[in-house]
This record gives sequence, structure tokens and C-alpha cells, in this order.
Amino acid sequence: MLKAYMILSIILFSIGMVGLISRRNIIVIYMSIELLLNAVNLSLIAISGDLGDSSGHVMSLIIIAIAAAEAALFMSLFVVLFRKKGSLDANIFDILGSKHES
Amino acid sequence: MRSIALQNEIIFLILAVLAVVSSIVMITAHRPIDSALSFIVTLISVAALFGLVNATFLFVVQIIIYAGAILTLILFIIMFLNIKDENLPDEKYKNLWLLGTTLLILPFSAILIHLILKSDIALNSATDESFGTIKDVGLTLFSQWVLPFELVSILLLVALVGSVTLSKRND
Repeated sequence: MLKAYMILSIILFSIGMVGLISRRNIIVIYMSIELLLNAVNLSLIAISGDLGDSSGHVMSLIIIAIAAAEAALFMSLFVVLFRKKGSLDANIFDILGSKHES
Repeated sequence: MRSIALQNEIIFLILAVLAVVSSIVMITAHRPIDSALSFIVTLISVAALFGLVNATFLFVVQIIIYAGAILTLILFIIMFLNIKDENLPDEKYKNLWLLGTTLLILPFSAILIHLILKSDIALNSATDESFGTIKDVGLTLFSQWVLPFELVSILLLVALVGSVTLSKRND
């Protein structure tokens, strides 16, 4: 059962990685990052249940808290960038570059 | 005893197929609302997989925080921004990109799966009744993991201040 959990975790991580690299919509990119965190959580909890040690549960609890903090920041970034550029294309969000005026 | 194990395997198989299919739909959908709705299915099946290995507290946390708070926030933002089709990037070569990246990622995951299948990780899973409950997780959190807990509280404060600063209109 543990091996099945680990393999499912690897598959979910790979799907999230494919979405993270190949898409240009920033909302889909954000959800791919969340999928990566979920895959890691799944393997941590499977290992923790197999060892009978609840440290893995605590680790994934902390990962969920970090994901919540990340969600807050990403949402305000979406609002700011969409207000500034009127698009969700990740290719045109280069406003940190030096040639940007106003 | 044997029938319970078989039942668990059938439930695991259904949930795994559900999670994989909905996450594939999530990364291939064109409109972000479709991706968000199918990502909810992924999160709930991952939560049910947590419940299958006795992680009852993490099951509740996953449902409440991920499916309840974060995904609702995403749906709220998507509907709040009133995204039309001309605001979306025109990903003309999206399927080509997805295919190419899959070919890029596939060897790594194949190596990892091969290693997992070859390794002899223990399969004891002899746990007592209280494993994974709030009391157990809380005792571990406040005895061995106090410092990361406090750091996470500082991180949440920083994220709060940062999001307020970012979304403030500077004119």
C-alpha cells in the first residue's frame, strides 16, 4: 500500500510539473504549484502512517500553512497584475525589468 | 481482515484514478474556472486518501483549508476579475507544449517509480487507535516542532502584510 501511495505521489508531482512548465495562464500555474505541494503531502502522510510516527503529519500541516500564506500573496498579485495589464498571460508580466516606464 | 484490506485497495484505486484524471483536466483546460473546479475534485480525493491511512486530522484540515478556503479564494478571484476570453493568453501551441514537457518529465518519473518498486520499504502499518488524531498530532507539534510552528506564524504575518501592501492602490 505504501508503494502505491508513493507511485501516486510521483505521478501527481509529474502532472503538476508538466502544468507548471508548459502553461502560460498564471492561475493554472498557481494551481500546479498547489498540486506539487499536495503530492509531497501525500507521500509524507503515507510514510508517516507506515512508520507509526506522527512527525510527517506535523510536516504536512506546516506545508498546508505555507500554502495558505502563498495563496494570500498570489491572490493579491493576480489582482494587481490584472489591473495593470488586463491579461493573465505570464509572458507579459515583466514589469520588474529595468526598461519598464511608469 | 482480508476483506477489509481488499476493500481499502479498491477504494484507493478509485480515488487514485479520480485524482489523476481530474489533475490532468486541471492542467489542460483552457478556461481557469474549469481548472479550478476540477482541482477541487483532486483536492477532495487526496483528502480521502489521507483518511485511508488513518490521518483523520489532516483529512479535516485538507478539506477545510484547501478545498474550503484556498480554492474558494481562487474561484472568488476568478469571478471577481470578470475574465473574458480576450484576457486569456492565446496558447496556440498548448497541446504541443504539453506533449513536449510530458516527454521531458517522463524519464525522471519512470526512474523514480522504478526505484520505488525495487526498494524494500517496510510495510508494517501496525498503528494504535490514537494515531493521527488531533491529540496525537498536537502533542508532536508542541513537543518536537515548536520552532517551525512559531516560524510559520511569522510567515503568515509577513504574507498578510505583504498582500495588503501589494493590493494597495498607489496613486
